[in-house]
This record gives sequence, structure tokens and C-alpha cells, in this order.
Amino acid sequence: MNPLDKPYAQLALALLTVLVLPLFLKSGILATEILIFAMVVAACNLLLGYTGLLSFGQGIFFGIGTYVAGICLTRWSVPVPLVLAGAAVLGAATATLVGWLSIRRQGVYFVMLTLAFSQLFYFVAYTFSGVTGGDNGLLGVPRPSVGGTALNSPWSYYTFVAVCFVAVFALLVMVTQSTFGRTLLAIRENEGRAAAIGFPTKLFKLEAFAISGAVTAFGGALHAMLIGVAPLSNIEYHTSELILIMTIIGGSSSLFGSVLGAGFYLLLADALSTVWPRWLLLLGLVLVTVALFLQRGLWGLVERGYDLVFRRERAPETPAEEH
Amino acid sequence: MINRRRFLTTSTLAAAALAAPGLVTRALAQGEALKIGVPVPISGAFAANGKFATIGAVMAAEEVAAAHGVQVSTLDLDTEGKPATAVRKVQDALAQDGVKLFAGGILSSESLAMGKEVERGGGAFMTTAGADEITGVDCNKATFRWSVPTYGAINETVRPIIDALPDAKKWYTITPQYVFGDGLLNAAKDVFAEKGIEHVGNSYHSLTDKEFSGYLTNAIAAQPDVLLLLNFGAQSSDTLRQAVSFGLKQRMTIVVAWASGLEQFEALGPDICEGVYFGAQYWHGADTALNRELVAKVQEKHGFNPNYSFAGSYICAKLLLEAAVKAGSPDGAGVAAALSGLKYQGLTGEEEIRAADHQVIKDYYLLKGKAKADMADKDDYAEVISAGKSFLSPEDAGCKMPA
Amino acid sequence: MIYLFQVLNGIGLGMLYFLLAVGLSVIFGLLQFVNFAHGAFYLLGAYLTYDLTMRGFSFWAAMPLATLIVAGIAALIEAVLLHRIYKLPHTFHILVTVGLALVVQELVIIAWGPLGGSVPAPDGLQGVVILGDFIYPQYRLFTIGFTAVLAGLLWWLLEGTRLGAIVRGGSESPANMALLGYNTLRINTAVFGFGAGLAGLAGALAAPIRGVEPFMGIEALSVAFVVVVIGGMGSYTGALVAGLLVGVVQSVMTTLWPEGARLMIYVGMALVIALMPRGLLGRA
Repeated sequence: MNPLDKPYAQLALALLTVLVLPLFLKSGILATEILIFAMVVAACNLLLGYTGLLSFGQGIFFGIGTYVAGICLTRWSVPVPLVLAGAAVLGAATATLVGWLSIRRQGVYFVMLTLAFSQLFYFVAYTFSGVTGGDNGLLGVPRPSVGGTALNSPWSYYTFVAVCFVAVFALLVMVTQSTFGRTLLAIRENEGRAAAIGFPTKLFKLEAFAISGAVTAFGGALHAMLIGVAPLSNIEYHTSELILIMTIIGGSSSLFGSVLGAGFYLLLADALSTVWPRWLLLLGLVLVTVALFLQRGLWGLVERGYDLVFRRERAPETPAEEH
Repeated sequence: MINRRRFLTTSTLAAAALAAPGLVTRALAQGEALKIGVPVPISGAFAANGKFATIGAVMAAEEVAAAHGVQVSTLDLDTEGKPATAVRKVQDALAQDGVKLFAGGILSSESLAMGKEVERGGGAFMTTAGADEITGVDCNKATFRWSVPTYGAINETVRPIIDALPDAKKWYTITPQYVFGDGLLNAAKDVFAEKGIEHVGNSYHSLTDKEFSGYLTNAIAAQPDVLLLLNFGAQSSDTLRQAVSFGLKQRMTIVVAWASGLEQFEALGPDICEGVYFGAQYWHGADTALNRELVAKVQEKHGFNPNYSFAGSYICAKLLLEAAVKAGSPDGAGVAAALSGLKYQGLTGEEEIRAADHQVIKDYYLLKGKAKADMADKDDYAEVISAGKSFLSPEDAGCKMPA
Repeated sequence: MIYLFQVLNGIGLGMLYFLLAVGLSVIFGLLQFVNFAHGAFYLLGAYLTYDLTMRGFSFWAAMPLATLIVAGIAALIEAVLLHRIYKLPHTFHILVTVGLALVVQELVIIAWGPLGGSVPAPDGLQGVVILGDFIYPQYRLFTIGFTAVLAGLLWWLLEGTRLGAIVRGGSESPANMALLGYNTLRINTAVFGFGAGLAGLAGALAAPIRGVEPFMGIEALSVAFVVVVIGGMGSYTGALVAGLLVGVVQSVMTTLWPEGARLMIYVGMALVIALMPRGLLGRA
């Protein structure tokens, strides 16, 4: 195992990211968005990388978190910690439901099912506009306050999100390191065998779904407070696609890969969109390139770079990538 | 070896991505130019509108710069048609680039969200989006709107048609199911009730629908004299196209209450538009001094006629910049004060910015599609049937301007 | 009466949905490949038809030409790019095809502009048919008949011929096919081109009905997925039944409860999957 994959190394990298982003980026809002998506993508990775479930429904949970924040903060002025907890609980509950219905099938059928649910939830949000604001969304979501002052400046809210991010990331690392996490990996490698040994594999998958949904909705709530609005587009199928693409680009073998994936995508999109109106064309080419040449994602690059620098004497260990 | 090269190329890519936002910001922060952000969808499903809007804003900036001897720079902000992206770009422009003026916002959802953000950031924002809330219940001191709201759009299209076609007593409506569509529908129902028109039915559809044959079948069953389409953009084009293919043009009068203008005519082509009524915020053929001037300038510079996206963005940018010049600062409060109550000769003739809700009081046009043979040039798709101003009072629109 | 008519209209829609979905289904059945670029081929088919008719070709020439060009482009993409990734997990299928779809969409905007346009119905089919109180465009009636003939042809091709047997054989055991001396690589390329060509044909047929615009591919993709999921992956009959079902439900709902028309389709899909996870007619 690469030393960078060790839990403490992962956590250290996450901390480093939080500290380094303000040095490199002028925009505190972009930096905050990166951290929010980093945790959401890591939650997607818990399903993809650790459980082998390719979920196209992460936008559902993200949107639900957004709406919980939007409704609770604009209509009832619920305290922020309660809102975040509520988002996580509702996200977990929805994820359990979606997961329960979806894990009945495997492989590509599972993907299609989650895709179908993401469409379904979009139309629910669209149709019941009395609750969600429909296409206009819910406007005027306030930033949280700490010690009586609202975190209205970009970097003060960044600090708030950074604390949440490190806590969530640590939690996810702990989950993957626990017996539970190792069992998930065993299920991913060979579900039949894991079931034969006596693991309730479906229950494990559901729990993974619940955790993933909770974290994603938590991120969605933070996002609504960041941009001050709970938009319909957060629950669109495109959000699901976005989260998934970030996960794959980052690499599914490590949680920190997800942080890289989110950061890479958002920075690339931000840079390209100022350069050329047809920047989605370049993005499409990047996606094809990653799939052809970088199948372990950005994290695979990091690992190879580490090997090159620190362990030159050892032969490459990843024959799977040589074709 | 191969691995190493791959690593290097990709990391330069990543490094470029990391560096680029900073570079862009620095380049725009130099000098003491007047800065205006143009947050419009440049990519995504509304890219067509964004493309012309950015050119329009640049033209306005050049004119103001030349007229007042100030340096003006524009900053394109691609909203991707998503409120979240729109708000983030606006926040960044406010915080990083010190931009205080924003002209843009084509979709209601993004404009409502950006309006709140610009208000929070102490800037001024002028938009052409449709949602009534912008100068209604969600009005705020930083947000201005050039386009006529749903009430005026209906009154300036439905009333003249009722007057022109006294025998057309039965109307059918097709409405997108969201706040904007309901705004148009309710305004239409009020006019119907007042004029003794029988509203023989309405079909709601979702914002993602592209197939309208089912709704048209409902309309056919109701046997109306007039079919009133209350959707907009690609959806109204799709509905109209399909209505024409169902032969409805021969059986009833078709009215598109909220057309996008020239860009929509171009996408539809003259065969479909002939004989159809369109309500429009702007038409390049309108006979006003400023409009004639603008058409000539755009023709000279770009070789095309200005469409609604272009004209809306141009006038919004121009009004904001001139207000900033007048106020001596782009700061939101000064600009808002300079704009409030302003009367000026605009693209649609006499225009006035109502102080109470920041709504521009301007003409709305009723156009009628021409036959291909009658078109004087390739853009001469329609003739102006009537033009006029209809607005709810700020109280009736629901605006309580925050102090 | 209106419901009867909505059912007829729904069948018209459903046949187009079938055409769109069956290509996706065939590609999936043989190659176990999730193709998020399917909508892009539909988009391309529609735009090529638009372009060719603008250049003065008749619709009857433009439609088959557009279909063939799309099939050719798709086969080329398969041969150069996609065959390399079949063996990879589905995640990479999604990544590549989502990327491809973006590239095609943006290229369409670069080539033809972001506005879109109208394609006139072919001469002789521009009128309407009057059925009592109702009207139906001749062109739509033609597409029902035309796709019905196509459906029959496809059924014969896939179920009744050696080619179909090869395709099905290939999907069940590629190794055996190779042993029997078939070049599976070439078969894969041909099938992918064929499936994408069907999407292109659906686009070409849809162009006179709804015009062209650069984002019609995304919408077509979501319809195709719904049909394939309800009907069952890789099933010809499933695509036909589900396509018709979705078309009819959508059309009838526009009279019954238009606000919920879209919602009902997805609720229906969730129900089908919950009760019959393989879809209505899916193979194991």
C-alpha cells in the first residue's frame, strides 16, 4: 500500500488542502464551493470506490439538503446546527429509501435505477412548487452566525465550511477504516463470497447509502447558505452527473482523490469558462482523456508521482494500467 | 517513461487551472476603469441569448467611454443558466474584482438570486428577466428591470387582438407550469373576464416538455377562435411549430404573448411565423430615434440587426454606466438614486424608471408575422401592429421597497 | 373521443421513442455498454437533416443520408475509441460517453449556431388529416406507418436472420463467437454504428416535427433511458412495448392531469422497477 493511502496521511492531506486553498485562490467563494463539493464527492466515493455502487442519484440528496436549509432558514429561522443535522437525517432517510429500491439490481441496472430516481425527485421538486419555490427556488437563505456575527464575508464562511469539511472527511476516513468499511471493500471485491461468509451484504450497502446521503445533504445545506438561494438546479440530474464525474476524475481508490476531483473540476470549469464560450467541448475532451489514460484518476497520478520521487527502485506495481 | 510524460502534461494542466482565476482577476483589477459585469448564460441551453447579450454590453460600454471620456471595462460572467453559478460569479466579481454594476440575467431564477446578491454587495443590477417578483414581491433597492412584466405583456397583446377580432370570442391557453406562466395566465384571465371572452380551456405543461401534440389535441377539442401561447423561448417555438403542423393556423388565430423577438423568428423561419401574432419587448424595426441609431450602429459594426438579447443588454449596461458617471461612483446607492425616476429617450421611445419599484415603464409591441414574399430584407419578419404601456401600480405588483 | 385521439397521438410518439430506445438497447445488449452519447447521435441526425434540406436536398434524400452519416461517424468513433474501454467498469463508459456527448453538442453549436431552426415537412405530407373533430398532421401519420414498417424490419433482422443470431450470440458469449471464426471486433463496430444510426434516423424523422436545437439530445437521451429501463435492457420487444406505453401515457396524461404528466412517467418507471426489476420484458 502506498503510504499516502494511510488514514493519517489522507487526513493530513485534507488539512493541508484547507490551509493551502486560501493561499492559492483569490476567491473565497470558489474555495468554499470546492470544500463543499469535496465532501459531497467523497461521500459518492464511499459508494463507488468502497462499495462498488455507481450512484447516479447523489443530486437527490444534495438537493434535499439544499431545500432543508432553504425552507428552515427562510420560513422558520431554525438554528443552523439543527438545520445541518436535519439535512443529514433527511438525506440519510431518503438515501435509505432510494438505496433500498435500487440495490435490488446490480451493475448497469442499478445505475439506471438511480438515474430514474434522480429524475423522479426533480419532478417532485418541480411539481410541488409551494414547498420548493419551483423554478424560482427559495431566495434569501441567510449565512450562519457565530457568536452573534453573520459570516457574510467569503473567507469567514470558508472557515466555517472548512471546519465542517475536516470533521466530515475525518468521519469518512474513520468509516472506511472501520470493520464496516473493510467489509464494504470485501463486498465490492466479491459480493457472493461476502454473503457466503455470513455478512448481510444488503444491509451494509444500505448503511453505506445512508452515510453517503447524510453527508451529501449536509453539503447541500452548506451550499444553500453559501449562495443564499436554494435553486431547483441543485436537485437536477446534472448535479448527480457532476458529482459522479468529479468522483471518477479524482479516482475512486482514495477519499482524498475525491477532494482532488472536486477541486480539479471546479477550477478547470472556472478557468475555461472565462477563456472560451464553447469550453464544454474542452471539458468533454478532458473526460475522454481521463477515461482512456488515467483510469485511477488524479489520485493514481499522485501515487505514481510519489513512487517516482520516493521509491524509484521499485518496479511499477500497477500492470492493469499499462495497456 | 510514458507514465512520467503523462504526469507532467496533466500537472501543467492542473497548474494552469489553479493559476488562471488569479491571472484573470489581476488583469481586470488594474487602472481605475468603470467596471460592469455581464452575468448571462454563455454556455448551456440559453447560450444563444448570452452570446448577443455580451456583445450588446460591450457596445454600450464603448459608447459611454467615448461619450464621457472614462475608461469602461466589461467582465463576462458565464452563469451557465444556473442560479448557483450565477450567484457565485456575481459574488466573486463583487468581492475580487470590485465590480458594482451588473447588467444581465436572462432567466428568472438566476436574476432573482443575483438581485439579492448584488443588493447584499452594495451594487446595482439591471435585468431583462421575466419574473414579476423582480419588481414585485422580491423587489429590492439594488435591482432594476427593463422588460415589461407579465401584466403589460398580456394587456398589450391580448387587448388589441380582442379589439381587432371582435368575433373571436373563445380563447384557449397553453401555459408553462411555474410562477412566470401563472403570472401571464392570471393576467390573461382578468382581461378575458373584463372583455366577456370565454376562456375555453388551458393546458399546463412542465418546463422540460418539448412535445406539445397532446396539449394541442386538447386545444383542438375545445374549438377556440384564438390559441394563446404563454410559454417562452425554445418551448414557445416548439409549440408554435407543432401547432402549425397541426394546421391550426388555418383554423384559429395564434398568439405568442412573450416572444423573444428576432432570434425566435430566425429559428422558426417565415413560413411558420406568417400571420401569427407575437408580443415582444423589443423589435429592431420599431420607429424610435434611439432604436434607428442603434440599428445603424450595429449594422455598421457587426453586420446584423440587434435582437432582444442584444438590445436589452445594451440598454441595461448603458443606463447603469451613465448613472454611475452621473453619480461619480459605481456604488449601488448613488447609481440607484441616479436611475430612480429617470426619464429618457430609450429604444422603445419615451421610457421612465419608476422610483417606487425600479420598473422601467416602456412600450411592449404586438407584432404580426409577414409572408415571405412581403419581407423587405431577411430580418423583416414582422410588422408592428401596436405598441403601448400597461403596468400595475407598484402596490398592486406587490413591491414594498426596503428603505 | 378525445382520449381515443390522445391514444392515437401517443402511439405516434411511442413509435419514435421506440426507434430512439431500440438502438440504445441493442448496443447495451451486445456490448454491455452504457451509452450516454446516444442522444448526441439523435441530435446529429436531426441537424444533418436540417443542413441537407437547407442545401436543397429533398427530405427523402436527406433522411437516409443523415442516418448513414451518423452511423458512419458512430462506427468510426467505436473503432477508434470506444472498443478500448468495453472491458473497463461502467464508470468509464459513462465518463467517455458523457464527454463525447458534450463534444458533439458543442460542435453542433459551433457548426450551426446556438439558435436552432425549422425543417419543413416533405412535400406531399405538409397537410393534415381530419378525423371528425380532430386533426392530425399527415407527416406524423407517415412517421407512425414508417416506423411500424421499420419495427417489423428490425424484428426480422434481429430475431429472424443470421445477423441477428450473430448479434445475440455475441452478447451471450463473445469467446464462442470468436471460436466460430467471427470477427467480434468488426461485429461490435457494425452493431454500434447500427444502433447509433437508428438514433440518427429518429432525429431525422423528428426534425420536421419539432425543429432542431442544440439541446434536443439531452432530452432524447432521458426518454430513451426511461423506455429502455421500463422495457428491459437489450430487449427488442421491451423497447417496443415500453416506447408505446410511455408515448400513450404521456399523451393521455396531457388531458387527464397535465401538471403531473412528467412526474407520472417517472413514478410509473419506479413502480415497474420496484415490481419487476428487470423491466417488463428484460432478459436475466
